[in-house]
Amino acid sequence: MELIENIQKGERAAIAKAITLVESSKDSDQQISRQLISELIKKPGKSIRIGFSGPPGVGKSTFIESFGSYLVTQNYKLGILAVDPSSQITGGSILGDKTRMVEISKNPNTFIRSTPSRGALGGISMGTREASIILDAAGYDFIFIETVGVGQSEIVASNLVDIFTLIVGPGSGDELQGIKKGITEYADIFIVNKNDGELKIEASKTAADYKSALSYYKKLDELEKQVLLVSAIEQTGMEDVIKTINQIVNQNKQKGIFEERRADQLEFWIEEEVKNIIASDITKRLTSKGNISKYSEKVMKNEMSMYEAVETITKDTLKQ
Amino acid sequence: MTNKSNNSFNTWQKSFEKETKKNYRDAKSETDEGIDIKPVYTKDDLENFSFVENNSLPGQWPYTRGPKASMYTNRPWTIRQYAGFSTAEESNEFYKKNLESGQKGLSVAFDLPTHRGYDSDDDLVMGDVGKAGVAIDTVEDMKILFNNIPLDQMSVSMTMNGAVLPVLASFIVAGEEQGVDRSLLSGTIQNDILKEFMVRNTYIYPPEPSMKIVADIIEFTSKEMPKFNSISISGYHMQEAGADNVLELAYTLADGMEYVRAAMSKGLDVDDFAPRLSFFFAIGTDFFMEIAKLRAARTLWAKIMKDFGAKNERSLILRTHCQTSGVSLTEKDPYNNIIRTSYEALSAILGGTQSLHTNSFDEAIALPTDESARIARNTQLILQNETGVTKTIDPLAGSYFVESLTEELSKKAWDIIEEIEELGGMTKAVKAGIPKLKIEESATKKQAKVDSGSRVVVGVNKYKNPKEPSVDVRVIDNNRVRDDQIKKIQTIKESRDKLAVEKALANLTNAAKDETNLLAPCIEAVKLRATVGEVSKALEHVYGRHFAKSLSVSGVYGKHFEGDKDFMKVEKKVIDFENANGRRPRVLVVKIGQDGHDRGAKIVATSFADMGFDVDMGPLFQSPKDVAKDAIENDVHAIGVSTLAAGHKTLVPELMKALSNIDPKSKIIVFVGGIIPEQDYEFLYKNNVSAIFGPGSNIIECAEKVIDLISDNLSKE
Repeated sequence: MELIENIQKGERAAIAKAITLVESSKDSDQQISRQLISELIKKPGKSIRIGFSGPPGVGKSTFIESFGSYLVTQNYKLGILAVDPSSQITGGSILGDKTRMVEISKNPNTFIRSTPSRGALGGISMGTREASIILDAAGYDFIFIETVGVGQSEIVASNLVDIFTLIVGPGSGDELQGIKKGITEYADIFIVNKNDGELKIEASKTAADYKSALSYYKKLDELEKQVLLVSAIEQTGMEDVIKTINQIVNQNKQKGIFEERRADQLEFWIEEEVKNIIASDITKRLTSKGNISKYSEKVMKNEMSMYEAVETITKDTLKQ
Repeated sequence: MTNKSNNSFNTWQKSFEKETKKNYRDAKSETDEGIDIKPVYTKDDLENFSFVENNSLPGQWPYTRGPKASMYTNRPWTIRQYAGFSTAEESNEFYKKNLESGQKGLSVAFDLPTHRGYDSDDDLVMGDVGKAGVAIDTVEDMKILFNNIPLDQMSVSMTMNGAVLPVLASFIVAGEEQGVDRSLLSGTIQNDILKEFMVRNTYIYPPEPSMKIVADIIEFTSKEMPKFNSISISGYHMQEAGADNVLELAYTLADGMEYVRAAMSKGLDVDDFAPRLSFFFAIGTDFFMEIAKLRAARTLWAKIMKDFGAKNERSLILRTHCQTSGVSLTEKDPYNNIIRTSYEALSAILGGTQSLHTNSFDEAIALPTDESARIARNTQLILQNETGVTKTIDPLAGSYFVESLTEELSKKAWDIIEEIEELGGMTKAVKAGIPKLKIEESATKKQAKVDSGSRVVVGVNKYKNPKEPSVDVRVIDNNRVRDDQIKKIQTIKESRDKLAVEKALANLTNAAKDETNLLAPCIEAVKLRATVGEVSKALEHVYGRHFAKSLSVSGVYGKHFEGDKDFMKVEKKVIDFENANGRRPRVLVVKIGQDGHDRGAKIVATSFADMGFDVDMGPLFQSPKDVAKDAIENDVHAIGVSTLAAGHKTLVPELMKALSNIDPKSKIIVFVGGIIPEQDYEFLYKNNVSAIFGPGSNIIECAEKVIDLISDNLSKE
């Protein structure tokens, strides 16, 4: 495929068109997309994929702008995949990530793509995984995956990246209660932002809170979770972030955790694809048979119970 | 209510209901501000006022009726036309002509690079030099600008907010080199940075250091320039950006309070500087509302300043300049604009403004020509000399309606001011982006009213002119202006004392670190011929440049169109498009260059998204190259360029070039919206622009055209 060659040459337009293909809902596009990804995946590049998440208002985009600027001045090539929520009502979206990434969006060493979420669960859109494979093939050193909000998205996002990072603000000790154990299993690094001006003391205190809480949850064979203090607006602490990332990557590679994770992720991906195919097949059958409306009518008329209806429909649908 | 008047009102109400076949209670109409206007007002409406005092007189507390006892009966308002374009030489000629024809004060418009602290030779500002204002790079330009205009006799207003320091310093030095001491200079510098963060976006530094600079200027002028207004607190640009009158009034006064606090934090007594604070409001087409706004502004400001502990009566008085609304002008049937401007001017006069700018009718299309500027000026001369409006002070005082409206506006504005105070003042509110968002919401609502036809704009959505007149416009050859400026900068840089300039700039940087007053070291640097760009950079080393975060409203536009046929038609086209192409139509909406007026771009973005498009928003102040990178990486179908500052003839071809540099096979289509003279249409179409939308375009029609163009373009593949 000519497209593959052009991606590997790093041609911006080719990368962009390929991402459009993997995001497309059109059947013919999906077929090309599958061929493309199957080819690209055979020759993985050197990219490290980093996930960034965090509650709204902690300065996530400002951090990415600041950290990203630091990386490109060190001559790294940086790809950023950001997901913006689509409106539930109109289906349209405003993709405004670039307005918060003014400096790095101009830099020739970056590729920044925003994607509408299209109602996908967890703030990760269809195609984010494939898009990161394309950027990897195009020779990007780091790929950032930014997700919206905290919650479900962490679990989905952590299945796409090598390192998962949670950004929090000063005084978020209380949120720790809510985050609790689940998140610590996914996040490798905790970044406390806004370590500047009046908030400095509060930020240090928050970092200490996180450290003590995290040591409490630490499993025996696990690496220690890192808590870092940064100021995105003053661009301080960025060296520590990249150092820590490299450190974790190296350690994980030595211990085989890096490969293990990628293997797990492949498993998860296959499972997801299979489920998707089955689900869409089932949906088609359900609609064509019209069982749901037929049986819910019966339930309404008290001719059968709700659970009887469910069982009958399930059996009928699964029958070839 | 006495029995008798009660009876007669009831009789009237019955007759009213009989004539209109409507229930009296349903006969109210709601304004943009959310005020219910009744069909009739009576003496009873004058009761229970908490702001307006019924028996006050002009020049007396609470100054509702005017800042002076004699008002226009002694001296009419100052006709002050805002102008400036291309080089200092050409603007100077234009000023002198205007002064000969009866204009009394000058008001200088600077070009965008000057506003943003860039020299004309900076690559970033390629398309903006000399457009929408005059280019000033050094004090030499400032001297040419006022050549043969004695600065001890002429009051000069300067619309400058970002690069206030080098511009005011240049003005002071230009005066001195004319032999005029700074204490004799009179006029105003706008110096209102807060509204820049809200709407106009010609800032340079972040909010905190910007506020410090404002306070420095207030401090310096209060000590050394007693005849000079240190600030013009402006609501104008808020209304232009779509704010209703309550928002404009409340945010302007809240800005004023923030400046008072900033100056007081420098240790100044409120009466040292308050008499030199001045205001600037927009006057739109809502005739009585605008009159009430000016009356309410004076009433509220007196109360605010009393609360600050002002003792000097002059500190309590709000003096204001007004300008007729630019956004009310239409590209369609442009001679209607003369009529709109006339009514707006009358509103401003009945409201008691101290000076006035009337817009030229062609300003929705281009910069005014000599002829259109003459009509605009004569609008005021006719009001002053032929209509008799100067003979009686505040003639609408005592009108049941106008007094009630004044009271109601005051009340609503006061509520918002209190909200802002609770947030900790305007700097904090601005940093949180609240006012900006409220204004954008109001703007989107207004646009939706026009597009849905529930608000009539003559010649635009009703009573269209079947034969649109063609209008001659002023053309600026901005490449020539830029070349001239670059030559001048080179000559000056070669002849000045290089070491002394470097030292002066280093002193300025140090002063910024030490937090001492910055105007004095600026004057030193400017005297030695440091450029506007160099001075701005010397401060940027300490403060950094500010980049605004962009928030957007959504759903506001679409709400006005529930069940609208045209709207639903576009929605359906979007869904059909998605089914055929595997994704929604995707459009990048951008501003290019140094023009920060982003109301239009924001409205297009939010309304397209409400119709189901995927809309990418670019940051402000992008170069054509940045836009091309952004568009290609996101594989958009189309780019919408919003332009209001006449840079399109340079910037659009640059964008086309940048697109094909990155991707020679690029299929991205480009459409342009904003203020574009018809003469330029052909040029743009030749440069492969697919569509052009002028001011007053119906956004639903635009959206439909864009989606059709995209579909056509894709089917060619």
